[in-house]
Amino acid sequence: MFKYTLKRLLAGVITVWFIATATFVAMHAVPGDPLLNDKAVTPEIRRNLEEKYGLDKPVFTQYLIYMGNMLQGDFGISFTQQNRRVNDIIRDHFPVSAMLGLLAIFFATAGGIVWGALTATYRNRAPDVVIMFLVILGISVPSFVFAALGQLLLVNINSWVGYSLIPVAGWGTIRHMLMPALVLGLGTMALLTRLMRSTMLDIVNADYIRTAKAKGLSPLRIFFRHQLRNAILPVVTILGPQIAAITTGGFVVELVFAIPGLGRYFVQAVQQLDYTVIMGTTVFYGAFLVLMVITVDIIYGYIDPRVQLE
Amino acid sequence: MSDIVLDVKNLRVEFDTYGGIVKAVRGVSFSVPRGQTLAIVGESGCGKSVTVQAIMGLIPMPPGRITSGSAKLNGQEMLGLSPKEANQFRGVEIGMIFQDPMTSLNPTMTIGDQIAETLIVHRGYTKKASAKIAVDLLDKTKIPEAAKRARQYPFEFSGGMLQRSMIAMSLACNPTVLIADEPTTALDVTIQAEILELMLELKRTEGMSIILITHDLAVVARVADDVAVMYAGQIIESGSVDQIFYESAHPYTMGLKEAMPTNKPNEERKLMPISGSPPDLFHPPAGCGYFARCPHAMDICESNQPSGFRIAADHYASCWLHHELAPEVDALHLVGDQ
Repeated sequence: MFKYTLKRLLAGVITVWFIATATFVAMHAVPGDPLLNDKAVTPEIRRNLEEKYGLDKPVFTQYLIYMGNMLQGDFGISFTQQNRRVNDIIRDHFPVSAMLGLLAIFFATAGGIVWGALTATYRNRAPDVVIMFLVILGISVPSFVFAALGQLLLVNINSWVGYSLIPVAGWGTIRHMLMPALVLGLGTMALLTRLMRSTMLDIVNADYIRTAKAKGLSPLRIFFRHQLRNAILPVVTILGPQIAAITTGGFVVELVFAIPGLGRYFVQAVQQLDYTVIMGTTVFYGAFLVLMVITVDIIYGYIDPRVQLE
Repeated sequence: MSDIVLDVKNLRVEFDTYGGIVKAVRGVSFSVPRGQTLAIVGESGCGKSVTVQAIMGLIPMPPGRITSGSAKLNGQEMLGLSPKEANQFRGVEIGMIFQDPMTSLNPTMTIGDQIAETLIVHRGYTKKASAKIAVDLLDKTKIPEAAKRARQYPFEFSGGMLQRSMIAMSLACNPTVLIADEPTTALDVTIQAEILELMLELKRTEGMSIILITHDLAVVARVADDVAVMYAGQIIESGSVDQIFYESAHPYTMGLKEAMPTNKPNEERKLMPISGSPPDLFHPPAGCGYFARCPHAMDICESNQPSGFRIAADHYASCWLHHELAPEVDALHLVGDQ
């Protein structure tokens, strides 16, 4: 178990190194550089800046310097935000994205399991048809549409109540988080619902469910003790990548709801070719994804006795 | 009679399918005396599994439907009960084991927990007490190191051990009837013998009745007291195991025996398959279901359903050959004496 975790972590470090290198190469392959801003920069200033940021050195030397700093946990200084360290950007804004993401994942998982089980139970009847229609919407409609609709809904609710019951945008309290988390988790919820429905339908006809019936167990007990646990296994499997996708992919939702998350910096940095911020956020997200996948794999070993971690 | 534990009368089961209505069971009656083993024999699709699943309330409805009949366990009707009422006897009065032990147990629950579950639900035992009994039951079904094994999961067991665990599970509440739906079909021959031996032994020690469903005549000869031969959704011959094997009265039963390999290598004998195939149960024949394949078929067989003719005490056969106007068929007795 310990050995297995160590092995996975080591492989994870190599993965992160690979991500860092690939990002570094791709970033420098893009034409232009971070100093090419709209402000006119005289050759002299430009030289000074290049010297300051080390851009005058050969790319490979830059790579070595950058990797060396990264190993010490230093992602450098942002090019476009005056003297702001990338570490600070991540420290200030990642917790916001993570909080939003975890809440979204919670909504998505709870919703996916409940809706999936419901559709399977009422297969081809009204609840199934209605929910599966909504699932198709959830998968195909982009999140900014849901975000706008969600805000509209909140506006109506608030004006009906007479005060700002649930804030339409902003960040701070749990009430701020509800709607954006719901919107952010919607796609994943739809995905999990479909997955849950199909595994539940497989399991309803499984031999061991027939055995459970022959044992004289109540339908409720059969559902909770025999169906649910087996149906959840595939859901847990895809949860790892989904956690990472939601936590890192919240950019649009963060923008619409004016949430100070990391997603905005991630996207802006690419537009402005802010080398250090691109590297910092990408490597950080990459490491986060790797960690989540490993965590889920370890949890999986506990849920499914057939999986042996070694 | 008081020593009849399970009495099934005129059971009819249908299934709605895209191709039409399948009449899977067409008027089946049998009874199981206390402490006896009834074997229901027949080829695939003849309705033997459907019959017992209907009794247990395991047929999905829809598409399944029990159109008539009754099944009385110690005088109590079991058909048409709500799931809650049915659970009063399922797993308590009647235990059931299935064909494929590999898939019949929950893969994410320990063997011990799955056995204990029956006791917790039906007997109200505590987790601890039921776990202890689960180990005893595994011991009783001759699983070595039962205490350790009870904490393991189904994937850590072999097929034979899983079937033993299934038996242990079905015995948890001391049922009066154990239904075994092809319990040895998925196991290899040596394990098969061990499982049958175990079932016979438990029948003696626990005093329960067994309904054994199988297509294997060798198994029948080994364990059954009474035999019911099913064909095309009906029981076409029933009697004691000796009557069925040595005084077969239905051409189908004889055909089955002809098609059975012997274990006497020096005896020159050809296997005689039954030619043709069973009738289409979407449109069951008006007369005898075996008409199209029967070497002794007569005109009357095509359009008239034979009723059960009494051959001897408790020996019945649904075949017109036993009508007083039917011609004597020598082959009948020749094969029967073999």
